[in-house]
Amino acid sequence: MASTLCNYLPELLCKFPAIDQTLMRGVRKTVDDSFKSFVRAYGNVIDALTTPLQHFLNGLESLFVNTPWFIILAVMVLVVYFASRNMRIVAVTVIGMLFIGLVGLWEDTMITLAIVTVSTLLAIVIGIPIGILMARSDRAQSVVNPILDVMQTLPSFVYLIPVVMIFGIGKVPGVIAVVIYAVPPMIRLTNLGIRLVDREVLEAADAFGSSPGQKLMNVQIPLALPTVMAGINQTIMMSLAMVVVASMIGVGGLGKNVLQAISNQFLTIGFLNGFALVAIAIIFDRTSQAYGKRLQRHTEVVHG
Amino acid sequence: MKKLLAATLFAAGIYAAAGSAQAAECGDVSIAEMNWASAGVAAYVDKIILESGYGCTVTVVTGDTMPTFASMNEKGQPDIAPEFWVNAVRTALDQAIAEGRLIQAAPLLSDGGVEGWWIPKFIADEHPDIKTVEDALKHPELFPAPEDPSKGAVTNCPSGWNCQVSTANLYKALGAKDKGFELVDTGSAAGLDGSIANAFENKKGWLGYYWAPTAILGKYEMVKLSFGVDHDKANWDACTAVPDCPDPKVNAYPVSDVYTVVTKGFAEKAGVAMDYVKTRKWDNATVGKVLAWMEENQGTNEDGAKHFLETYPEMWTTWVAPEVAEKVKAAL
Repeated sequence: MASTLCNYLPELLCKFPAIDQTLMRGVRKTVDDSFKSFVRAYGNVIDALTTPLQHFLNGLESLFVNTPWFIILAVMVLVVYFASRNMRIVAVTVIGMLFIGLVGLWEDTMITLAIVTVSTLLAIVIGIPIGILMARSDRAQSVVNPILDVMQTLPSFVYLIPVVMIFGIGKVPGVIAVVIYAVPPMIRLTNLGIRLVDREVLEAADAFGSSPGQKLMNVQIPLALPTVMAGINQTIMMSLAMVVVASMIGVGGLGKNVLQAISNQFLTIGFLNGFALVAIAIIFDRTSQAYGKRLQRHTEVVHG
Repeated sequence: MKKLLAATLFAAGIYAAAGSAQAAECGDVSIAEMNWASAGVAAYVDKIILESGYGCTVTVVTGDTMPTFASMNEKGQPDIAPEFWVNAVRTALDQAIAEGRLIQAAPLLSDGGVEGWWIPKFIADEHPDIKTVEDALKHPELFPAPEDPSKGAVTNCPSGWNCQVSTANLYKALGAKDKGFELVDTGSAAGLDGSIANAFENKKGWLGYYWAPTAILGKYEMVKLSFGVDHDKANWDACTAVPDCPDPKVNAYPVSDVYTVVTKGFAEKAGVAMDYVKTRKWDNATVGKVLAWMEENQGTNEDGAKHFLETYPEMWTTWVAPEVAEKVKAAL
């Protein structure tokens, strides 16, 4: 039907007048070449800048991998307990980690944990200030929001390639790719949490003569903390999801095994590694959620 | 009434005959477009020739050696894998051929696929003493590892490919670890290509697994190092290609067999095109030229295929009957 319609219409209306092929090729070539010359010119500078991060990552990974397993497990149990104060979550942690150890994925899990830890910390350090800035200025919000939209919808493979060109392969580009993917929810939820702080509370703070800085530190951020915690929780989850994709540029750990299993149709290995990731995700998620809940205790106080 | 019935039957007969005639011509064909350049171009060359020359309806599906093989073997989809490196699945493929599920057609790359350990040409020019892999392993400082520049790196092939196993075994056999080298996993083809591009753009050394014909080798000049021994097939099959082989020996890579593999279903529905997939093959030099042109012009696989058909008619017209060649030329 639609094709017969085209027989009666001028071609311009039926076939979209695309830009000439040669011109497009020229544009693509120019962009690629200028990107390459940028890499050539600043390669050494970039290497020097990322060296500290590289050392930190290598150090943390070897710390996680080389520490005896029972110490790591004990530390995890303590962290989980003090964050959640919930014995059920502690039990889940122990069972999950024992499962991971029993199926022989302990070392890979530690490598993945190191990457996720660094990525999450970076995302928090980058995300919270930007979120605060967005909350304090509508103009900043209108500039940052579209950027976040692009970051969240751009297929990750698109920026993996330039990241490899610039930083080579390994943990540093991996962390950078993971942070690009995982930072938007942190920024968004920080912004949202601060904006949702009750107007009346702020008026009260004004009435007591707080400076803007005091208002932010003593009123807005504490009241926004549950939402910020939700942001941290989302960031952790997205980091874990991205770790598998990051293994495509030479990040080791569970993601590498998943990738290998995919290309070789090893169903069991794929599922085991996938479940190991799920186990870590559940531990992180329940712990950070329980912590967020505990921060919200004040909201549950019933005023008589 | 009778007349009507007869007419109906007659019409139905004509219809059925027409239908079967069309089926004999060619049907819906799916071609696997593997995720490396030479195979991608081959897929589109096939697409253009089958569509315009034989009147097939062609869909191109993205693929990769292992998943595509599994799908062809289990499901009979896609119909054609134009450039299939059969060494990776020799046993399973032989079984599938014996059971009549798959058919091995022409050796697409007439020279076969060349695999090995390569270094950039600028390093080879600066250090003419480096001729073999052993020579390269004396200089870890020339090939800094991406994560720890104090060590050298042997860059491994992507996770899950067959060459990952053989490269790891050769790394072990050569004792590269004690010579200050680590084996670096690249994860994916994109990671491997990226690491080479990164090394060339930053004028750093690079040592690792790669293969020809490829766009990267058309774009960045690299030199293949000798392993100093001949290919020992028995030991290769028994140990070098086996994961976790206890004591691997130094061995040279075999020249890989690269064939077109088609499903039984394809042979049934596109019988007219069977001769074509059984005869067409090209050599690495031509493929290299086409891939280099694509790099140069930022062409897609389809552009590369068109460029090939326009530039090398003397090659591809020998693959098909003259009237088919005319149709393809008209379509270009």
